[in-house]
Amino acid sequence: MAWITKNSGSTQIERRDEPYLSDEVKDAFNKRYAHRYPSRAALALPILHEIQHHHGWLPFQAIEEAAAFIEVEPSVLLDTATFYEEFFLEPRGKHTVWVCQSVSCEIMNEGKITEAVREKLGIEPGETTDDGRVTFMKVECIGACGGAPCALVNETLHENLSPDDVAGVLDALE
Amino acid sequence: MPLDAPVLFKRVPTAPWGSANERIYVDYDDYVAQDGYAALDKAVGMSPQDVVAEVKSAELRGRGGAGFPAGMKWSFLPPPDGGPRYLCINADESEPATFKDQILIQFDPHSVIEGIALCMLACELDTAYFYIRGEYHHHREAFERAIAEAYDRGVFGENSRMGKINDRAPNLYLHRGAGAYICGEETALIESLEGKRGWPRIKPPFPAVAGAFARPTIINNVETLANVPHVILHGADAWKARGKGRPDGAPPQVPASFGTKLIGISGPVRRPGVYEEELGVKLTDVIERLGGGPAPGERIKAYFHGGISMGVISQDEAEQGVELDFDIGKKWNNLGLGTACITVIPQRTSMVSMARNCARFYSHESCGQCTHCREGSNWIYKMLSRIEAGDGATRDLDMLLELATSMGSMPGHNICGLSDGTNWAIRTIVNKFFGEFEAAVTSKRTVSLV
Ligand SMILES: Cc1cc2nc3c(=O)[nH]c(=O)nc-3n(C[C@H](O)[C@H](O)[C@H](O)COP(=O)(O)O)c2cc1C
Ligand code: SF4
Ligand code: FES
Repeated sequence: MAWITKNSGSTQIERRDEPYLSDEVKDAFNKRYAHRYPSRAALALPILHEIQHHHGWLPFQAIEEAAAFIEVEPSVLLDTATFYEEFFLEPRGKHTVWVCQSVSCEIMNEGKITEAVREKLGIEPGETTDDGRVTFMKVECIGACGGAPCALVNETLHENLSPDDVAGVLDALE
Repeated sequence: MPLDAPVLFKRVPTAPWGSANERIYVDYDDYVAQDGYAALDKAVGMSPQDVVAEVKSAELRGRGGAGFPAGMKWSFLPPPDGGPRYLCINADESEPATFKDQILIQFDPHSVIEGIALCMLACELDTAYFYIRGEYHHHREAFERAIAEAYDRGVFGENSRMGKINDRAPNLYLHRGAGAYICGEETALIESLEGKRGWPRIKPPFPAVAGAFARPTIINNVETLANVPHVILHGADAWKARGKGRPDGAPPQVPASFGTKLIGISGPVRRPGVYEEELGVKLTDVIERLGGGPAPGERIKAYFHGGISMGVISQDEAEQGVELDFDIGKKWNNLGLGTACITVIPQRTSMVSMARNCARFYSHESCGQCTHCREGSNWIYKMLSRIEAGDGATRDLDMLLELATSMGSMPGHNICGLSDGTNWAIRTIVNKFFGEFEAAVTSKRTVSLV
C-alpha cells in the first residue's frame, strides 16, 4: 500500500565507514543527470535507482548520503523512497521474481504459477529464501497482458508461463 | 469495414498486414526511409500556431484514457514569458490489462519521438520528460537508444533542426518511474518527476498554467503523440477520413471519434495481442476478426473494454452492438473508452473474483490522500474477499454499491480519477452481474476463514 511508510522511526540504522556513494559514482551521476532537471531535488528517483542498481536495496546510510548529495533532508528522500514499490528498504535476495496478479493474468491461471513458485522456493510472496538467493513478489499488471500469465525475473520478462515452466526458470538463476 | 492500411502500426508488423514475430526495432534510418521525420521537417517551416490549429482541427483526442482533445489542451497554454516550459510524456502504462504503448516504445520509438518534437515546436516547449514505468526494462533500453539516435541526427540538442525553442536548445530526457500506478495520473506524474511521492495535486491550477517545476506543462500519452506526425504530414482531413464522425446533424461541440486506435486483446482468445483499428469498430468484430475468437473450449461472459477502471461490458451488450469509440460510456453505462485494451472474461471466471481482483488493485495503488479512496477501497476489498470465501450477507451487496458510488473525483469526494475507477469497476461488475453476487452471498461458506 503506497500510503504506508514501511519502516518506522525505531528502525536500527546500520552504518559503515566506507561511503555508499563514492566520488566516482557521484561525478558520473552528476555528468549524466544533473543538467536534466532545474532542481537537484528532482534527482531523487534517479539517485535511488542508482543506489539500488549497485546494492540491490536502499540502506538507510545510502539514503542519507544521497539526500546530502541532492541537497534535500534525509527525511524528504526517505519519504519519497517509501512511496514506491520498486524500492526495497530492506535487503532482498540476489534475484527477484515478480508474478503478475492482475485481471488478465488471474484469468489465465496466475494462481497456478504462484503456487508453483511457492512450492519450488518454499516461501510466501514478500519473502526471501533462507540462502538469500531469491525474493518472491506479487505485482500488479506489468504491461504484458497479451502473454498472460507472466512474470518478471530480475529484468527479464517471461510470458505465457505454465506451471511446468516455473522450475526451469528458477533453476536457470545462478 | 476493416481498416485498409495501418497508421500507427505502419512500421510495426501486425495482423492482418504482418506477423508480430517479424517485429524489429525501427532505427532512425529505417524510420526516415518510411516517411519518418517528414512531418517535423514540414512543421519547422510552419508557425507554431498553425501546427496547433492543424491538430485542433483534426480533433485528435487523447489516447491515455480520458479522451481530452489534444489540440484544445495545447491551446490552453499561456503565451511564452521567457521561462522554461515542459512536456511530460506519459509512458507509465500501468492500467491493468493495458499493454499498447509498450509496442510503440519498443519497436517504433521514433514515431513517438517525432510526435514529441512536433508537440514541443507547436507549444513552444523546450524540455521534454519521457516518464516510463519502472518495470519496462527492455523498453527503456530501446527508447534510450532512440533518444541517442535523435540527438545524433539533430532532432534535439544544441544542433537541433528545430533551432532554439524558447531561446533554449530543445531536449528530451527519459525519467524512470518506480512502480506506482498512481504516477500515471498527470499531476502525480509531475510530483514524481520533481522527486516526491506520487500524490496527485488538487486542481486548479492546471498543469498548462503551473505544472512541472511550477511552469506551464503539457502532458500527453505516448499513443496520442505518435499520431501527431500523421496528422501534420497528411493533414486533418486525411485523419478525419478514418474512424467515426459525429452523428448526422450534430453540432460541432459534440465530440467525435476520428482516427485509428491501438487495441489490446488479452485473456482466453486465440490471438491475443495489440492491433490497430478504426474507432467505432464493433467489439465483437475485434474479438472475432483480430483476436481470432475465444480459445478452444472457452465461452465469453464479459469484457473489461478499456482497462479495469472503465468497468465491464457483458457479452449480451456486446452482441447488441457495442462499438469502441468515445461514446461507449454514455451508450453502455461505463466510464468511457479508457485505453481500449480489452480483457476477455470467460464463463468459467467468477465475477466476484474479478471484482475482488480490481478492489485489491485500487486498495493497493491508492496514494492514500483521500479518505473515501484509501479506506473505501480497502473496505470493499475485504468485503469482496469475504463474499468470495462464502461468508457474505445480502446487506453486504448494498454496502458495496453504496461505498463504490460514494467514491470519485466526479462525486467530488476525492482528488483524482483513481477513485472513479474503483467506483465504476466495482459498480458495473456488481450491477451487471448481480445474480452471481446474490448467489455468492446466499450459498454456504466454502472456505474456512480461520
Ligand atoms: C489513476 C490514473 C492513472 C492514469 N494512468 C495513466 C497512464 O498510465 N498512462 C496514460 O497515458 N495516462 C494515464 N492516466 C491519464 C492521465 O492522467 C492523462 O489524462 C493523460 O496522460 C493525458 O494524455 P492524453 O490526453 O494524451 O490521453 C491516468 C489517470 C488516472 C486518474
Ligand atoms: S483519489 Fe485516491 S489515488 Fe487519487 S489522490 Fe485521492 S487517495 Fe490518492
Ligand atoms: S494483467 Fe498481467 S501483465 Fe497485465
